[in-house]
Amino acid sequence: MSSRLQAEHLFKVFGRRPDQAVERLRQGADREELRADGTTAAVIDASFAVEAGEIFVVMGLSGSGKSTLLRMLNGLLEPTAGQVRFDGQDLTALTDRALRELRSKKISMVFQHFALFPHRSVRDNAAYGLDVQGVPRAERERRADEALALCGLAGWEDSWPDELSGGMQQRVGLARALATDADLLLMDESFSALDPLIRRDMQDQLLELQKTLKKTIVVITHDLNEAMRLGDRIAVMRDGRIVQTGTAEDILLRPANDYVASFIQDVDRSRVLTAAAVMDTEVSGDEANCGCETATPDTPFAELCAISARLTHPVAVLDADRALVGVVPRQRLVGFLGDEQGEPAACENGGKVIARA
Amino acid sequence: MPRLHLGDWVDSGVDWLVAHLSWLFDAIRAVVEGMYDGIDAVLTAPEPLLLAGILAVAAWWLRGLVAGVLAFAGFALVDSLDLWDRAMSTLALVLVATVIALVISVPLGIWAARSKAVSAAVRPVLDLLQTMPSMVLLIPAILFFGLGTAAGVIATLIFALAPGVRMTELGIRQVDAELVEAAEAFGTTPRDILLRVQLPLALPTIMAGVNQVIMLGLSMVVIAGMVGTGGLGGAVNEAIGRLDIGFGFEAGVGIVVLAIYLDRMTGALGTQLSPLGRRAAAKARTTAWSYRLRPQVAVVGVVVLALVAGGMGIFGSSAGTSQAAATNVGKGKEIKIGYIPWDEGIASTFLWKELLEERGFKVTTTQYAAGPLYTGLATGQLDFQTDSWLPTTHAEYWTKYGKQLDDLGKWYGPTSLELSVPSYVKDVNSLADLKDHASEFGGKIVGIEPSAGMMGLLKKKVLKEYGLEGTYDVVDGSTPAMLAELKRAYARKQPVVVTLWSPHWAYSDYGLKKLKDPRGAWGKGDGVHTLARKGFASDNPRAAQWLKDFSMTEKQLTGLEAQIQKSGKGREQDAVRTWLKQHPGLVDTWAPVAREGAKSRAAG
Repeated sequence: MSSRLQAEHLFKVFGRRPDQAVERLRQGADREELRADGTTAAVIDASFAVEAGEIFVVMGLSGSGKSTLLRMLNGLLEPTAGQVRFDGQDLTALTDRALRELRSKKISMVFQHFALFPHRSVRDNAAYGLDVQGVPRAERERRADEALALCGLAGWEDSWPDELSGGMQQRVGLARALATDADLLLMDESFSALDPLIRRDMQDQLLELQKTLKKTIVVITHDLNEAMRLGDRIAVMRDGRIVQTGTAEDILLRPANDYVASFIQDVDRSRVLTAAAVMDTEVSGDEANCGCETATPDTPFAELCAISARLTHPVAVLDADRALVGVVPRQRLVGFLGDEQGEPAACENGGKVIARA
Repeated sequence: MPRLHLGDWVDSGVDWLVAHLSWLFDAIRAVVEGMYDGIDAVLTAPEPLLLAGILAVAAWWLRGLVAGVLAFAGFALVDSLDLWDRAMSTLALVLVATVIALVISVPLGIWAARSKAVSAAVRPVLDLLQTMPSMVLLIPAILFFGLGTAAGVIATLIFALAPGVRMTELGIRQVDAELVEAAEAFGTTPRDILLRVQLPLALPTIMAGVNQVIMLGLSMVVIAGMVGTGGLGGAVNEAIGRLDIGFGFEAGVGIVVLAIYLDRMTGALGTQLSPLGRRAAAKARTTAWSYRLRPQVAVVGVVVLALVAGGMGIFGSSAGTSQAAATNVGKGKEIKIGYIPWDEGIASTFLWKELLEERGFKVTTTQYAAGPLYTGLATGQLDFQTDSWLPTTHAEYWTKYGKQLDDLGKWYGPTSLELSVPSYVKDVNSLADLKDHASEFGGKIVGIEPSAGMMGLLKKKVLKEYGLEGTYDVVDGSTPAMLAELKRAYARKQPVVVTLWSPHWAYSDYGLKKLKDPRGAWGKGDGVHTLARKGFASDNPRAAQWLKDFSMTEKQLTGLEAQIQKSGKGREQDAVRTWLKQHPGLVDTWAPVAREGAKSRAAG
């Protein structure tokens, strides 16, 4: 119960007689059966917990129910069944007023299409949440300017949203969410409307901010690469259900089913995997003795390849105490890229090179 | 299918409302008329050109120099056409109707935007209000609110309500759902979402609705003119009634000036009010032509002009004329005369206005369509009218309202109804001759308003009597249209049959032949009666007695009518004075002042 945010058996059904529909879903009915009756099950039996300071990513294709799930976390949508606990407090039991209070102070949100108020200046947009709380003008403008500076928008305070590029607009959206000092940040496909380079920048910036701010963040995305980059843990949704929850490596290396497996096919593994996932832990003990370059379990895959290319032998992986925890032979690196984890078979030629590239 | 008695239900519903909710209608009437009088007083207080200046400064501020100059030119034109007071009265009417329409429609639009059920319920009501022919709503409006401003405002309002509601609803629904969600996500209360997100963003659309409300209101003023609101609408009606194309055009230009001014101003106001619009306007390049006054300067300008206006209003007030005591029977008592824009009606109405004013009464004359006139008289809004054709032509009105009216007797007669042809049509002299010349006339008889008594008589009786059914069609239309058709055909010497009546000025303007009626199908002629509201005679016994004793010969009437035609629009009373000077003694004959010993003669 120590988790900052906890979702317990959440259901959200749109349409008539939602309670009956939940009952049927509990008994194993699927989405299609309900659709025939004109009801839509957006979220089915979703449970997860988010720890303080964690970035939790909910990933799924459009229509998988991830946006609906997110809106239940701050009470914009009321769950048909189940509970949302935030700091041990049940959101579903709160009055509208208390819920608004909570949203204005503790939970903020960043939107897919930025949702900046076109009739407010950049500063007034960033100050919106504080404005709602009733913070005096001078203070809220100071805090808004701070949040804008944090997001790299110092000097743009008096501009108007339509004068900014998409990336800058989303920075304003982020600043608006950060200005209230809310503990929980909900991000609804916040970067998916940006072009790829800007998206990368924004992801980096979010990770950079998170190092100092340590917010609890729930990110919704349909982009698996983004999920892998941002998420401490990832929940994969399909047709309203969460099909797998785990770290990026869990999902990449141990997909729970064929759906997740097919999903991760296109993922650029070299960005996600680290030495810890690739290394051979059956070590003999002498690989670290030569004084060559070594890696740590956190060393990214790409860097590992670079080290490996400079060495003639497998790369040694040392932990924080410089104790050997594993080795990475070059063949293993190549195997992971090609999704081939078996041992190499001997060649008929007895190993002689017969072809030159 | 069983016959649904929808009409009867409506009738009894209206009766019930009149009987039980009159306090409510009186209250509404008082509020509306109070607003109207207030605005009208403000608008007519200053010198016309001064107010034109104030309006021009407002235009300069909102839209720029060119707009200001054009606004001044437009209003100066209205003033030079002698339409200033009418234009201001129309402006006041439209403003009152607009304000009330907005007070009702914006909240209703907001409500409709927030609730699908309300939206679904409101929509057909708006359709009904907007498409129901306005005259159908006008008559009940008179029953509820009486003749005059209130009914006119309500009729205008009803018509203008719909765009206000629709555009408000649309504007709010158009606000990006994500923005509303963002506001919610930051804990904004529903009230603040409306006030701080939805309304500001919907403002341009809502202002477009306001603009539509004003424009529709202006387009209704002509119809409202029929219930005696006066103003430019009344002027248009008078002009139409007399086929006075020039005057009608002038009044129409007045309406156009108002319409363009209000349209541009509300459009500019929309930009000024919405933060987005302000920003866009600030970005636009400024030239000398589009240079706009700073608000402070504009306010100072308006205040200075208004102060000057107020000062002149105080010093410019004119002293009233005093009455000789002996002839001052009325002692300033007010009498309201209503009239239909028929020539004998106008002549006799202004004759009596002059006579009664000679005798110390304060007389107002207002023009109406026949229906509202009778309704107004029956409900006591008017004191009398002089142009009731009984027993035939106005039979329907008499049956409906006769019980609430006093017949002060006939002052002219007999009149006659007839079909007439130009005298250049040779072989047609009698109704019986028509049958063989159907092709010459294209099988058409040019009629007047289908509601007129003589049209019913013509279709039901006259055609049958002379075997013209099937060979002739009676074309429904209006009196002005009939007269216009007669004028056109006459100028080209084409054969034409029109429905006419005597007395009518057309007989002196054109060479026309009244077709003989050997079988007497048209019946005996009507008398032109004076009708008064119940109680008029006891309130004003002397005036009632004069009216009862009043009669005119055909020579007198056509002479007076000709004098009025000659003098032209707006100078009816001058024409009456001139004519009375040419016929000395008539004043004392028609409105004898009770001197010593003369009382018995007046009573006898």
